[in-house]
Amino acid sequence: MIRVAAVGDIHMGPESQGTLRPSFETLPDCADVLLLAGDLTRHGTPEEAAVVAREIKDLGVPVVAVLGNHDHHDERPEEVTAILREAGAHVLEGQAAVVTAGDARIGVAGTKGFGGGFVGRCAGEFGEPLMKEFVRYTRRCADGLHGALKDLDQWDCDVRIALTHFSPVPDTLAGEPPEIYPFLGSYLLAEAIDTAGADLAVHGHAHAGTEHGMTSGGVRVRNVAQPVIGQAFHVYNLPGRPD
Amino acid sequence: MTDAAAPPPEGGLDYRVAHLAERLAAGRLGELGVRLETRGDAVLLTGTVPSTECRDEILRLAREELAHHPVHSDLLVAGTSSPDHGEDLT
Repeated sequence: MIRVAAVGDIHMGPESQGTLRPSFETLPDCADVLLLAGDLTRHGTPEEAAVVAREIKDLGVPVVAVLGNHDHHDERPEEVTAILREAGAHVLEGQAAVVTAGDARIGVAGTKGFGGGFVGRCAGEFGEPLMKEFVRYTRRCADGLHGALKDLDQWDCDVRIALTHFSPVPDTLAGEPPEIYPFLGSYLLAEAIDTAGADLAVHGHAHAGTEHGMTSGGVRVRNVAQPVIGQAFHVYNLPGRPD
Repeated sequence: MTDAAAPPPEGGLDYRVAHLAERLAAGRLGELGVRLETRGDAVLLTGTVPSTECRDEILRLAREELAHHPVHSDLLVAGTSSPDHGEDLT
């Protein structure tokens, strides 16, 4: 069994230091990896990223993260990424990482993702340049996720996990106002997951959403935004490969 | 405290709520997760925020921006405990 801990939207600021660390220090007893589903900071400043870095450094389990929209607000995502990597985290954008737990190989493909909405109620690549770029940006994120999941195919993984900040499905947005769904996720992410294949998809971003959902291809989706799960993290137990 | 002698600010409540939402997002909290809903003459704040400091600051800003209107808060602070079990995905 492979134990995957995950949380997103921890929105850390200067006064947050130490609030999650006591729970994170229990991770070696209950999980093989910690996934961070973006919005780790409030404004994406290096100072806030340093708070997150101290919270996750030397936890005793590998940490794999994607950034969220808040982590981009200060327009220094490269600095935020570097600070988290310095603390030992894998930070993914259109990339994949494999971490090990004993003999098990856990593959994670990640992108922040973006909005656009869901089938029948979504933005199209049409009209003003800004509108076209909105959809094209989401498509690039989805293509990056697809490519990263396909990379994991080559790397002999026991499980493959898609990690995003924005949601791939509307299921896990239930509780949010339907009018804002196009700003919370995109079906393009789910299409990438279903086309490339994954055992689990994890996202954040929708604070008022719900935890459980599924893609139309049958991949389980979990919204791990901290306001949704109400704890420092949740753990998902995945069967490994049969011997 | 609201100065009872001061005249009410101009502008409809809807627009003032929208301005509060903009102020919460743009300010040092960077807060986008609070839902603001009008309830008659009052405004209800709901959602989960990262810390008690955030909750108190949001409430202070709301009472400042929405002076002369009752502000009801049902804001929660995010839980930080460890789970006592995992979910089996078989």
